[in-house]
Amino acid sequence: MNVDLELETWRREWQSVSVTPPDLRKRVERQSRFLRLEIAADILVTVGIGVPTAGWAMVSPQADIVVLAVFTWMLLAVAWAFRLRITRGNWTPASLDTRAFVDFLIGRCRAQLAAIRFGAILFAVNLTFSLAWVYQHRPRPHIAWFSWPLDLVWLATVAFYIFLPWWNRRKKRELAWLLGIQEQT
Amino acid sequence: MRSFTATDAVLSRPDPADILNKEALAGDFDRLLAVNGPALGRLAASYTNTLSDRDDLLQEIAIAIWQALGRFRGECSERTFLFRIAHNRGIAFLARKRAHVQEPIGEVDVRDPASNAEAELVQEQTAQRLTAAIYRLPVQYRQAITLLLEGLGYGEIAEVLGITESNVGARLTRARQMLRELLEKQI
Repeated sequence: MNVDLELETWRREWQSVSVTPPDLRKRVERQSRFLRLEIAADILVTVGIGVPTAGWAMVSPQADIVVLAVFTWMLLAVAWAFRLRITRGNWTPASLDTRAFVDFLIGRCRAQLAAIRFGAILFAVNLTFSLAWVYQHRPRPHIAWFSWPLDLVWLATVAFYIFLPWWNRRKKRELAWLLGIQEQT
Repeated sequence: MRSFTATDAVLSRPDPADILNKEALAGDFDRLLAVNGPALGRLAASYTNTLSDRDDLLQEIAIAIWQALGRFRGECSERTFLFRIAHNRGIAFLARKRAHVQEPIGEVDVRDPASNAEAELVQEQTAQRLTAAIYRLPVQYRQAITLLLEGLGYGEIAEVLGITESNVGARLTRARQMLRELLEKQI
């Protein structure tokens, strides 16, 4: 078969395939709202944790409460500083060519792996400090309502440290695949 | 170029000029999707082997277009701009799914209102055969051949993929050879 004829035949066959979901515009608007909510939620968490501890320290300025407030704000500051550092340059400039975009994805993947390590350490530091603080201030004699939130914390900790290695493995596989693509391009 | 983050979108106050801009962007977005929707759908289909994945990818592509549209300054053609975004999203999608060569996509909508039922069936089968064969190509060849089949020239393909025109030529030669072999095996 003539080469150009072959191409024209393939082109005709390829372009006869029609695939367009009808509600794309609505989906985009919904997803855009969701993305904005995600950012707002991060800010809300910061305010929701930081403001009450600072307020408590101002209302009752005892040394241990001030320490709790300072530690909480330090942790929040470190978390935000890390987040801003790894997201700098990692916002999608979607019109990059494919080669540059693969590099961009690799950078983002490495940033996410760093975030996993950072998250594990931050969580451990926070947990150690918070539990030490809570146990030191636990009511004596023991009150039943005091223990169930702590049980929840332990459960959340177990879930977090099960999730983290799984997510880490997933990101490593993603990175390996992307490095393979980078090599090919 | 002004840098833009999602935080800006939350914190900035809308002013009338922004609202007008948004309306213009929405108009552009609708027009681009109306003109290029089928082509974007085909490109999405070349990255996935299920209809639900294809629709998810198409949604991601549409979102990326929506986000990037405001920054588009006409440095390249609209088609090049859209196909870049589509292929970039395709790569990101594959990285997440770590897709390997799998079974061809099950159902594709193949239409030609002028033909009769038998001819339609034959056309549908040949189109599905081609789609399946393209899906089996390695990503770098798949990208080049789908862009060629969408009617892009070597220069435009080079712009989309960020490689030289001679590299495009080499990839296309190899892609066509592999595609020919795959199609022969299917017969």
